[in-house]
Amino acid sequence: MTKEEMVTLISAEGFEFVIDKKAAMVSQTIRNMLTSPGSFAESREGKVTFPEISTTILEKICQYFYWSLQYASGKETEFHIEPELTLELMMAANYLHT
Amino acid sequence: MGGACSRKRGEVNEESVQRGAAAKYFKTGSSKWLNTSFRLGAKNSQGIDKCPSLIELCVHKICKDIDKFIEKYRTFSMLPRDISQLIFIELVNSHCLNETSLEAFRDCALEDILLGEYPGVNDSWMDVIASQVLSLLAVDLSGSDITDCGLLHLEDCINLQNLTFNYCDHLSDLGLEHISGFSNLTSLSFKKNNAITAQGMSAFAHLPNLLRLDLERCSKIHGGLVHLSGLTKLESLNVRCCNCITDTDMKPLSGLSNLKELQISCSKVTDQGVAYLKGLSNLVLLNMEGSPVTAACLGSISGLVALSYLNLSRCNISDDGCEKISGLVNLKVLNLGFNNITDACLVNLKGLTNLESLNLDSCRIGDEGMTNLAGLVRLKCLELSDTEVGNVGLRHFSGLRSLESLNLSFTIVSDGGLRKLCGLTSLKSLNLDSRQITDIGLATLTSLTSLTHLDLFGCRITDFGTTCLRYFKNLQSLEVCGGGLTDAGVKNIKDLTSLIHLNLSQNTNLTDKSMEMISDSKAGSGSGYVGTNDPDPESLTNLASLNISNSRITNSGLRYIKPLKNLRSLTLESCGVTANEMKKLQATALPNLLSFRPE
Repeated sequence: MTKEEMVTLISAEGFEFVIDKKAAMVSQTIRNMLTSPGSFAESREGKVTFPEISTTILEKICQYFYWSLQYASGKETEFHIEPELTLELMMAANYLHT
Repeated sequence: MGGACSRKRGEVNEESVQRGAAAKYFKTGSSKWLNTSFRLGAKNSQGIDKCPSLIELCVHKICKDIDKFIEKYRTFSMLPRDISQLIFIELVNSHCLNETSLEAFRDCALEDILLGEYPGVNDSWMDVIASQVLSLLAVDLSGSDITDCGLLHLEDCINLQNLTFNYCDHLSDLGLEHISGFSNLTSLSFKKNNAITAQGMSAFAHLPNLLRLDLERCSKIHGGLVHLSGLTKLESLNVRCCNCITDTDMKPLSGLSNLKELQISCSKVTDQGVAYLKGLSNLVLLNMEGSPVTAACLGSISGLVALSYLNLSRCNISDDGCEKISGLVNLKVLNLGFNNITDACLVNLKGLTNLESLNLDSCRIGDEGMTNLAGLVRLKCLELSDTEVGNVGLRHFSGLRSLESLNLSFTIVSDGGLRKLCGLTSLKSLNLDSRQITDIGLATLTSLTSLTHLDLFGCRITDFGTTCLRYFKNLQSLEVCGGGLTDAGVKNIKDLTSLIHLNLSQNTNLTDKSMEMISDSKAGSGSGYVGTNDPDPESLTNLASLNISNSRITNSGLRYIKPLKNLRSLTLESCGVTANEMKKLQATALPNLLSFRPE
């Protein structure tokens, strides 16, 4: 896996998640950030900071990205969501257009 | 965080007005009604489930555990509007909304509260609904027990654009008074209300932005349309099946020059009333089905060049005066069914080359008139049921290459004429229901491989004829009820794996063996049928409805159809099948079965 194929997502607490670019692009918002040429520093450095998304939630979102790719390839499993995370997760998902 | 989710706004759920005359020969246990009422799962065109978004998963999770969420958070008002709206919609769709969970949506600034046909809705729901105040744009309380007092709650929701109160039996003129303050209203619907009168309708005069008004099946609104005369933005008015509507009710409409759709079917409007519509130059759709108008009314509407949909079914149209119809050159859909017109009238249709749908059901027309249809090359749908059209007339159809639906039931067309149809390869739906059609005629149609619907209800089709059916691999609906089939013929039907509706009733020789073959394509196969070449042979597992009434099928045949899990309707009247065994079958193997006979 070359560096260009990975991106780094950074949570409010500064925790870094290094994931496949392909997975991150499941989010329409991240896709826009990474693909609009020049306009975002994110697209140059492959790093995106989310000052409003906590580490727990960002981790869950990264799990969803990979789950979504699996689902698309035909592996239809259930995606578990902890009840106590649901509202916060939903607001983040809304922001990420996911 | 900003909201990125978008919902479709301003979409009007318009009932199709282009349905034409309903199927008149309703056969008991026929599959036709099923087409409209069944959804076959939410799959995309490739048949693969779409990956749910994370928001969808979260919304689903909340609705599943709604009681726990409400216990913990009490309200959803801390959520962005977009999200609480999504939760609300999902709760409604999953029928999990009740008065308690509704309370959590107080002051959520929701835009849409669409509770049409939702059980249990009454005045006590109104307080929370009204708490959305200025955000509220659309409310649908159709079929609820809301009363005039309940409507009063909405008073401060002055931004409302869409209001729908269909089938609300407790609303009357008093309730309409509360509506007069909603000057932003663009769409208003009060279907089937028997209390609204002209007096209450005076409120409509205060709704200058109204674009759509629906008063279908309101029986006491005579004299009330006078309050619409100033609503110059009005684009659509539906007073279908308001038998009280007369000629004088048409007068106030004469100045509504933006009107695009007008439905006055089953009214008392005559030619005199239609004369008031002369100036409605933007009219695209005019539905006068079942009204006592004659061909003379065509004189009034022949100048309406925008008209593309005209329904004159079941009126008093005769040949005399029909020539005016030739001026309506933009017509796409024309329904003249059930009128006393002859071939002489059809001459006037010759130049209507934009026609895509023509209904001449039960008119006194024959072969001679068909020459005038030969040039209507855009025709997709042609209805000639119960006419005197015969083999000679079909000769003129060879150029109608766009034809997708053709009804020749109860005509005098016979086997010899069907050859003329073999070039109409766009045909998807073909109805040949009549006794004089036999295997020989069917054999000439094997080029029509796009067919999805084939009705051979009364045709004299035998096992020999069923060998032709294998060419129609796309068939979703098939009726063969002429009495000539045996189990050997069913063998040829079992490979039509796209079938959703199958009616084989009246074939009195069919036995349990037929049930076995329908459910398992491997049984008795291997004799050169097209289907046996498929790498993964399926049985008729897509079947949603099956009718094999009047046959020799017995209780012991029922076990074979257990794999048909999609079956929703099963009719086995006058067979050796008992209601008790049917109930058992439903309970143990076919949970989707909604309707079964005997019951």
